[in-house]
Amino acid sequence: MFEPRIVCFFCKWCTYAGADLAGTSRKQYPPNGVVLRVNCSGRVDPQHILWAFREGADGVLIGGCHPGDCHYQDGNYNTMRRVALLKPVLESLGIESDRLRLDWISAAEGDKVVNVMSEFVETVRDLGPMELDLTDRLSGAEAPDEAKGVKVSTAKKKAKAKR
Amino acid sequence: MKIPYYPGCTLHERALDFDMASRECANALGVELEELPVWTCCGAVFPLTTDSVMDILAGVRNLAYASRMGDKVVTLCSFCYNVLKRSNKVIREDEEKREKANLFLKADTDERAEMESYLEQDYVGQVEVLHYIEMLRDVVGFDKVAKSLKTSLKGLRVAPYYGCMLLRPKKEMEFDDPERPTIFEDFLETLGCDVVDFPMKAECCGGFQIVRDEETAIACSQTVLSSAIKRDADLIITTCPLCLYNLDRKQKEMAKRVKGFTKIPVIYFTQLLGIALGIDEEHLDFSDNYVDPRPVLAGKKLV
Amino acid sequence: MEHRIGVFVCHCGTNIAGVVDVKRVAEELAKYPGVAYSTDYLYMCSDPGQNLVKDAIKEHGLTGVVVSACSPTLHEATFRRAGAAADLNQYRVEMANIREHCSWVHRGDKEMATEKAIKIIKTMIEKVKQNEALEPISVPMTHRAMVVGAGIAGIQAALDIANAGHDVVLVEKEPSVGGHMAQLSETFPTLDCSQCILTPKMVEVSQHPRIKLLTYCEIDDVSGYVGNFKVRIKKKAAYVNRDVCNGCGLCIEKCPAKTASEFDEGLSERKAIYTPFAQAVPNQPVLDRDHCIYFESGKCGVCQKVCPVDAIDYEQKDEFLDEEVGAIIVATGFDLYPIVNIGEYGGGDIKDVVTSLQFERLLSASGPTGGVVRRPSDGEIPKEVVFLTCVGSRDPEGHMPYCSKVCCMYLTKHAMLYKHNEHDGQAYVFYMDVRTPGKDYEEFYQRAAEEDDVLYIRGKVSKLFEEDGKVMVWGVDTLTGQKVEIAADMVVLGLAMVPSATATELAKMLKIQMNQWGFYSEAHPKLRPVESLAPGFYLAGAAQGPKDIPEVVAQASAAASKVCALFAEKEYHREPIVAWIDEDECAGCRICISVCPYDAIEFDDEKEVARVQEAICEGCGARIAACPSATAQQRNLTDDQLYMMVSAALED
Repeated sequence: MFEPRIVCFFCKWCTYAGADLAGTSRKQYPPNGVVLRVNCSGRVDPQHILWAFREGADGVLIGGCHPGDCHYQDGNYNTMRRVALLKPVLESLGIESDRLRLDWISAAEGDKVVNVMSEFVETVRDLGPMELDLTDRLSGAEAPDEAKGVKVSTAKKKAKAKR
Repeated sequence: MKIPYYPGCTLHERALDFDMASRECANALGVELEELPVWTCCGAVFPLTTDSVMDILAGVRNLAYASRMGDKVVTLCSFCYNVLKRSNKVIREDEEKREKANLFLKADTDERAEMESYLEQDYVGQVEVLHYIEMLRDVVGFDKVAKSLKTSLKGLRVAPYYGCMLLRPKKEMEFDDPERPTIFEDFLETLGCDVVDFPMKAECCGGFQIVRDEETAIACSQTVLSSAIKRDADLIITTCPLCLYNLDRKQKEMAKRVKGFTKIPVIYFTQLLGIALGIDEEHLDFSDNYVDPRPVLAGKKLV
Repeated sequence: MEHRIGVFVCHCGTNIAGVVDVKRVAEELAKYPGVAYSTDYLYMCSDPGQNLVKDAIKEHGLTGVVVSACSPTLHEATFRRAGAAADLNQYRVEMANIREHCSWVHRGDKEMATEKAIKIIKTMIEKVKQNEALEPISVPMTHRAMVVGAGIAGIQAALDIANAGHDVVLVEKEPSVGGHMAQLSETFPTLDCSQCILTPKMVEVSQHPRIKLLTYCEIDDVSGYVGNFKVRIKKKAAYVNRDVCNGCGLCIEKCPAKTASEFDEGLSERKAIYTPFAQAVPNQPVLDRDHCIYFESGKCGVCQKVCPVDAIDYEQKDEFLDEEVGAIIVATGFDLYPIVNIGEYGGGDIKDVVTSLQFERLLSASGPTGGVVRRPSDGEIPKEVVFLTCVGSRDPEGHMPYCSKVCCMYLTKHAMLYKHNEHDGQAYVFYMDVRTPGKDYEEFYQRAAEEDDVLYIRGKVSKLFEEDGKVMVWGVDTLTGQKVEIAADMVVLGLAMVPSATATELAKMLKIQMNQWGFYSEAHPKLRPVESLAPGFYLAGAAQGPKDIPEVVAQASAAASKVCALFAEKEYHREPIVAWIDEDECAGCRICISVCPYDAIEFDDEKEVARVQEAICEGCGARIAACPSATAQQRNLTDDQLYMMVSAALED
């Protein structure tokens, strides 16, 4: 069976803590997603998402606080707008926009972490593996060169200079 | 206005009076109950096994019939309402059962089904199952009912009896608070009656136990009746043919067993609505009642 | 710089090792670029575990450490301290969460869980490789606390902090301090009178030189961060000039308008101008305009006429006060689960079915019946009283699923006090389980059952209804399997505790977490029970979960001690995970300024670049993502780091 590779950006105030709660409650969900802890879902730059797809992610999941509950007042609204704008961009690149999901999950919603994670893994599994080679297409998308350790921002600056 | 109508077996056999009165009332309120051209028994009891699709097929098939006529279906019998509503919820919420049920329906070789070719599209729970009282409240509107009244029922003390099937289980029926329902009280207030709130209004009448264990069922029914009688009700209304059977017919047995037992008429709520709407008594048909409601109604100059 | 990262994989007993192949994880990671040392150990958080980290740092010259164990909320601080003790900058120590996010949630697939653990650890290795050595940012701190809610929890917390030498602002939305405890009659298990032990404390908070008491006030807005909160308080119009009023009570005496008393739970009436109860603190009345004849019709004005000091001011408006504090304790208490939701027990329509707080008032010597239990319907003394536990609680189907914790005990107390009043009366308690986990609690229950002949029946009551002036109780005794029917004179409902009605709104304003029932969430269920996850907010009392008075007082004192510990430092040390802007690269577009919710970015007009004020920046990262040239970065969570982490998460 195809096991999708999923990158999750979880806000440390809510969804990350919700995933902790799912753990302390010993709830079970599929192990396809690796969670990166960010201070706020608003920290997630569309370029991080594009980078994930470029690096072979089959899906990207972002978890933030419910609207109105953001620890930083309105960070999650930024995320909401960015995700909404990024989805058509993904489609235009040939990436199904369902491969990107944003959900509001509070620290109390361990069950929701389980449901969203399970659902998303299924969605991505149904979509199948990402077969696009985005390396070329995204080369202008401010991604670093192949070699690890090349400073991304340097690459960005190069791109900027080119423009 | 036409609304698809599922009468169910009992309203075509024992409870013809209920069917007739309800159609007459609807007509008087500008609604035509359009009986499904093809329908079968709903199954009568919602299955408690959770792993079987077969047991809900009867209900689903009727809903699929209804889906060809409109987005709603109205029913009157509490059992039919219970089975249809719960089957519908299963179809709406359980993807696996939805698929299986549709496969069964497609394989259905029933010739009526073929005749109706009702299976051009999958049934996915698109029909809303309405009880007649919900239709009065939400489609017609109690305010319109109030405006259409011809006869005042003021001074008539009526106790609304809900029974079980209309209300429970709460989360599946989503009809009213099963512990303290009020929809029939609101309806009776619309009619101008004096509403008699009695604590046994949502207790069981004995139901099917009347076949297996008559003693228990009669005891249940008697508890319900005495509670209403004690609060000086003139009559009781209900919407369930089985409740009516237990509460009305079995008063004969109760009178034998209990000294000084006072009888009380039990009628369908649409029969009472018919009186208020000024519908001719013969279209309401009280001839089938064991305890004749006419003396009580005559006492209030209503018949 | 050459990376020399140390990886430490914790077994956590079998919590991790039972699912994740820790040996394999440690071996695989030893091969990962930049890893100089990799090992596994039974309990990393133990002393030997921490020493393992310290020794390895020295022995292998580690430049960074990844402890792969539980959630960072648990032990990040522990291992940062361990790192610092071995002269490794604390911000070069990170945790990889392979317990909550891996072993506990993927028990079914050990192979995949092991693979995932490796990936998680790799992401953190990549992060730590680029972590800068940072120092906490010191910011000035206001050594003054605010306590929201002046029930017993708020009172205790305020007194403890004030007695430790810090100023406290105590805010209460009601006209008097005291909360629900002031309503109670006697308290279990000692049966000392609630008011007798509470009122001295009420007086103390009102007279303490370090406590600023603000009653009839609500929190309107909170801004700032730990150490430096700015709180806007709404002082509700009381139509009484509180600077002038001497509390003579003449206005109350003469007021002709009456309404149901909240303090007596509707069992008696109060005037439109009122103090909630006789011992109210402060003893100044407030005017309830919703029930005032003057506000309704423009006539009356009696209170104004009789006031000897001209304190009545019908023109008074809500006022707003601004207070600066360094820490906030939230102690907003509880309400009872609404009786109207309990249809099977009459939903509040049966007069002689009362709530537990109403029964407290009936038992109280200062209550509407002078301490003699009388039925609300006819004032008769009831001879058969039925007490129901778990009303609205432990009922996941219909109501609240949690145990309300105190009902078994207070209903036992109710039954006992009733029996002390009415020796020939009969008290029944229907119960699911009698829960008495507290000092002297079980003995108290035994006493009620054995000495006071309270009859305990194990079973639920399905229905209450009125019949012939009695309350009919239909229940079941599950020990004998018998149906139980009681014609009671009175029934008392042990309703569940729920968070007070204003708790949710306040939580949203303070940005503190709640659980799904609206109780405030503590930072850790065991180890940080009185702190909120949001820094600077502390929790006390039933607002955090149902609890009894001793527990509330203990929690309030604990919260106060946490505040005092915070105040022990002159300055507050904040996490340096803030934003920074490379001035050479900044194009001066000002987009970041428009995104920042804290106004933490100033613009240097001369150089035409944006600059972060580190003392204000909260480190959300929202505007870093907004920066079009990627010159704005977050310390130790830069774009570069995130890219590398993403890549590591996806590596096979």
